[in-house]
Amino acid sequence: MGIVEPGMEAMLDVFVHETDTMLEELDEVLIDSEKARNIDDDNINTIFRITHTIKGSAAMMNFEGMSNLAHSIEDVFYILRESPEKLKIVFDTIFDLVFQSSDFLKDELNQIRTGVYEPSDPSELIEKIHGQVAVLKGEAPAEAPVEEAAQVESSAAPVEADEDSETLHIFFDDGCQMENIRGFMIVTQLEKVCDSVKTVPANIENDPETAAEIEKKGLFITIKPADALQEAIETVESALSVKSYEVVAKGEEVKAPEKAEKTETPEQIEAELKAAGIEEIKTEALAKEVAAVKAAAAPQPKQNAKTGAKENAKQSLLSVNQAKLDKLMDLVGEIVTTESMVARNPDIQDLKLDNFTKSLRELDKLTDELQDIVMSIRMVPLQGTFHKMSRIVRDMSKKLDKKVELVTIGEDTEVDKTINDAIVDPLMHMVRNAVDHAIESPERRRELGKPEMGTVTLHARNAGGEILIDISDDGSGLDPQKLIAKAKEKGILTKPESEYTDKEAFQLIMAAGFSTNTTVTEFSGRGVGMDVVRKNIEQINGSISINSVKDQGTTFTIKIPLTIAIVDGMNIGLGNNVFTLPITSIKQLFRLTDESSIVKNTNGAEMIMIRGECYPIYRLHKVFGIGDSEKPFTEGLLIHVESGNGNACFFADELLGEYQVVVKPFPVLFNHYGLKKMGLSGCSILGDGSISLIIDAATLIANNKK
Amino acid sequence: MNENVTMNTDVIEELSNRYLLFRIDEAYYGLSLTSVREIIQVPKITDIPGTPEYVKGIINLRGGVVPVIDVRLKFAMPEREYDSQTCIVVLDVHDTSVGLIVDRVSEVVTVEQSQLVAPPDMGDVVSNYLDSVSEIDDKIVLNIDCVKFLEQDVNSLQL
Repeated sequence: MGIVEPGMEAMLDVFVHETDTMLEELDEVLIDSEKARNIDDDNINTIFRITHTIKGSAAMMNFEGMSNLAHSIEDVFYILRESPEKLKIVFDTIFDLVFQSSDFLKDELNQIRTGVYEPSDPSELIEKIHGQVAVLKGEAPAEAPVEEAAQVESSAAPVEADEDSETLHIFFDDGCQMENIRGFMIVTQLEKVCDSVKTVPANIENDPETAAEIEKKGLFITIKPADALQEAIETVESALSVKSYEVVAKGEEVKAPEKAEKTETPEQIEAELKAAGIEEIKTEALAKEVAAVKAAAAPQPKQNAKTGAKENAKQSLLSVNQAKLDKLMDLVGEIVTTESMVARNPDIQDLKLDNFTKSLRELDKLTDELQDIVMSIRMVPLQGTFHKMSRIVRDMSKKLDKKVELVTIGEDTEVDKTINDAIVDPLMHMVRNAVDHAIESPERRRELGKPEMGTVTLHARNAGGEILIDISDDGSGLDPQKLIAKAKEKGILTKPESEYTDKEAFQLIMAAGFSTNTTVTEFSGRGVGMDVVRKNIEQINGSISINSVKDQGTTFTIKIPLTIAIVDGMNIGLGNNVFTLPITSIKQLFRLTDESSIVKNTNGAEMIMIRGECYPIYRLHKVFGIGDSEKPFTEGLLIHVESGNGNACFFADELLGEYQVVVKPFPVLFNHYGLKKMGLSGCSILGDGSISLIIDAATLIANNKK
Repeated sequence: MNENVTMNTDVIEELSNRYLLFRIDEAYYGLSLTSVREIIQVPKITDIPGTPEYVKGIINLRGGVVPVIDVRLKFAMPEREYDSQTCIVVLDVHDTSVGLIVDRVSEVVTVEQSQLVAPPDMGDVVSNYLDSVSEIDDKIVLNIDCVKFLEQDVNSLQL
């Protein structure tokens, strides 16, 4: 081991868990703030508190890198807490850096969790962050004059206040493209010969939109030459595509959007900007300002209420080891089983025991309640999972230069913790697919007359005993013809092309060995396709359906059970064995009086006509190799079953009644016998102590189709 | 805490010299006591379709689901009706419980390391699963290596 000193292991778990929770909170706050283009005081304090705590606890655990990184972020937010107005100067860079840092810390945590920990070196990140701190601090002396200047509505750019700094005004060749990047290259060059370099517009390396601005207004670079100004000028002269440059005389105006931010109302900003004659950046700056002002004003009371509630909730929240909860769940399952063992004990079956029955009823009520409560403990809202997705969308849209917005609806829908954990990967995959493949580039979207901003929607809702989650995008949609052609090429078509309906064609993308994108990108196409998504979902007894309209978008709907721990099922007898079939998959149970509705295929396959529809019959005797596989249909029970893989009739011996059973997985010893594939999802202990096997209708049907 | 750890290792060391002997027909087999959890009578066994014949199925052991293997069938010997002497030895191997159906259990013996000799390779089914052979009170005992014995069935467990 050796991750921590002996004796600290117990602390390590707590450290990992706490830090993990805090990083998630950090991401949440950051994403909200980035959307609002502003960080309010509460959020700054939250971030400050989180980084401060991580710094402390990482240092205590002797994780120097993590501690240092947290420390540097803390520095940034320390400054921002003192003077929030400075945020605008470094907004995008800071967010990127803090997100990167959060990722770095998460990676470290994951490594620690696996038990093999090799500290990575965050010094590069720390340096960048320190750079930003310098930017923030460098302004400190300029603060007072700037504020004053803002009041008189005209001033030098904030970066100009220093005595020995010089400002260069650079114009690039017409039509040379990517002015911002070219500017950034000059900045990098200048950094070698100057003590500090700042640009107006700021953040040119990350924000392609500044290109247009630079094209029109030119790029202002304020430098503090280390030696002589001449050296810097030579650097600029030698740079490519520079049409002209001039050294701005001190005191001359450098109009920049930053300045406007001191003003309180949009009207004022507008007026000011007009006065300054900056028409082209007006709209953007104004929109930003309006958003910021609105964000600052409107949600204030709401947020206060929310934090108030949060604080209250915190006092009564308790994190519990999941293994203990699982154990508790098991125990409750046992109690429920034992209770029915007592109640249906053969020894007392024929006795008239009034008081006993009364007590029993009381016990029954209590165990029911206990079961409900334990189940509710395990329920978690989808919020956390959805937040992870918004983080992914944010990162991807930046990297891919697409404009994508994630809308989440119903994130307070609750599901069992196991299910929640199981859907994270599939959801992530689908969201990635949507952003990477479905949403078009802004240019293409404009051509199609769609808003530039693509939308990916996650919509969760409760429907009966199931949860439905829609993952929809307004992107390019699926083309059934293309899918069929592709499937044909891969040789996975199971019937003639012309017989495929659109819906069936969409299902093809989830077939094993199918992937429409031949190029591997950073985000999707890593060999894990939709078939893995489907498998993951089916593992938790869920199903996926797809709907798509070309050029309008695609909707994936995931249907998952609320919980997989307890299943309402019908127990059916088969030879000496008992099988449980979940009620959700049963359509109808019936006995045949004569075999007139049975149709036999030439190859011996049996089918049945029910109300004009023909369904295959699967003799469970034959499927599981138990009992008489030639039993006449009139002597047994037929079960009409529906599943994501089609409808069918199962034939068994008898119906034993409806039970609520606690699902237990098969012992690992059976892992390689493919029981799951055969259509058995687990087992369960019945009231009399015997064991029933739980049938997974969908897999059974799929398995017997071929 | 440290005391506990040393005590545990003591117990394991003490147990590792001791073997539970069981019989199939007239032959004696030994299982290291470190992996034996308990001995129970044969309860109702639920058959699992799709498994080899020697995997008899699963049983309910106080709320836990435990797979059971018939040692006779695993050793390719003819099946025999279960009687009052037949019992299940529940083993704990790598955190999984497995029950072995044996004709009868006989006793627990202490075997010194020096009494153990390497098993002869007779090329039959049984010798694949053996760990060592020992002679105790004129009885030849074939000591079974639990891990080897279950290897085939738990290859997914990476033993």
